[in-house]
Amino acid sequence: MGKPKAKVDGEKCLACSGCISVCPQDAISMCGGRAFVMVDKCISCAICIQTCPVGAISGEVY
Amino acid sequence: MKYDVVVVGSGPAGSVTARFAAETGAKVLILERRVEVGVPVLCGEGISQKIDNWGMLEGKRWIASKMDGAKIYAPDGTMVTLSKEMAGNETGYVVYRDIFDQELARQAAKAGAKLMMKTEATELLVDNEQIKGVKVKQFDEEFEIEADIVVGADGVESKVGQWAGINTVLKPNDLETCAQYTLTNVDYKSDYCEFYIGKKIAPGGYVWIFPKGKGIFNVGIGILASLSESGMALKLLDNFIAGHSELKKGEPIRLLAGAAPVAKPVETVKDNLILVGDAARHVDPITGGGLTTALEGGKIAGETIGRAIEQQMFDEETLSAYETGWKEAFGRKLRRDYLVKEILLDFDDKTLNMLADSLKDYKFKEFSTLSLVKALVLKHPTLLMKLKPLLKVSKESKED
Repeated sequence: MGKPKAKVDGEKCLACSGCISVCPQDAISMCGGRAFVMVDKCISCAICIQTCPVGAISGEVY
Repeated sequence: MKYDVVVVGSGPAGSVTARFAAETGAKVLILERRVEVGVPVLCGEGISQKIDNWGMLEGKRWIASKMDGAKIYAPDGTMVTLSKEMAGNETGYVVYRDIFDQELARQAAKAGAKLMMKTEATELLVDNEQIKGVKVKQFDEEFEIEADIVVGADGVESKVGQWAGINTVLKPNDLETCAQYTLTNVDYKSDYCEFYIGKKIAPGGYVWIFPKGKGIFNVGIGILASLSESGMALKLLDNFIAGHSELKKGEPIRLLAGAAPVAKPVETVKDNLILVGDAARHVDPITGGGLTTALEGGKIAGETIGRAIEQQMFDEETLSAYETGWKEAFGRKLRRDYLVKEILLDFDDKTLNMLADSLKDYKFKEFSTLSLVKALVLKHPTLLMKLKPLLKVSKESKED
């Protein structure tokens, strides 16, 4: 079992782009007006989870 | 289709850059990935009134209200006031950012710039290691747009800079993560913009209340991402409103989340490429405000691009007139306020209360962060020691 990777709850995301600007791996993009994590690029640093102002990102073990 | 300039993003920095480039006769295209310029609004909507002197916006529809000044509340409630009477009548506006952005886009279009909606830049078009334009996606169609100069006006999350090899990734201590309600039917009379500071209220940031007139207020919060936890910004904002009965009676008509870089500026020029606005980190690190610098920097970028097109020279050296220009205009202010931000972050609530107490009767001459910093140093010469790196900044800029 690997470390939890970031996952965006599309229902909660307000598309502020904060997570994209702090991601050290360029692993997050806007997709259809919501943030979207490219799981392959995510290194489980959790910076985006901590940054999200509305708590739309959580860790999920794949 | 070949253009002289393709601008990625139709925010204030993008539109102003496009306008001033187009006014020199350049063929300019602005790309917007959303379906409406200025929407959704991602901003507190406060701006200094000094923009009146620049003549970039016509009419008054973009103005919601004119502020009478600013009130800063320390953690214990001690109030510091910067009022218009003291500040030579020049304070700030609260604006409707959607109308504001659309007015700037109109000015760009009037100058001859073209706009494309729902068109997202997906990567740079590169040939033989030279930037030749951008690849885009419009609805489900993908195509290429050729241009001699690409302008990254793509905001806090700028990808254009990263594609060109500029490291624009923000450290968590260089980002304010924000949430804001626009509340209506608020039973509160205030024409001041209010700021509330303190570790419990907004760690590494502040809560703002900006009056928009007719009982409508923007009430928002920014906290430093490094001091944040998941969902903390919105929770703290809800707590703040719950603790203020007059705000609590209001009803929300808008909720937004936002992110403001409070970082040192990055490298803004490469061969065939320029970064402007939030993408260039042209944001005051104390306030998180980036509108005036977006306009000022955009104008310099547009004029530089105009000259480059005239000479048909698009190399870094030619375009670096832009970097020299914005550094002269506001580079020192950004560096100074970055240092002040770091100093302020070290202050605990007790120190903030003490500082506010010493400034509560101070007569500020100007509505600016500089006048606030000057006052602090005047009242507390020991602060000079902490501000010592600032003196170095002044010295360097003289040598520049």
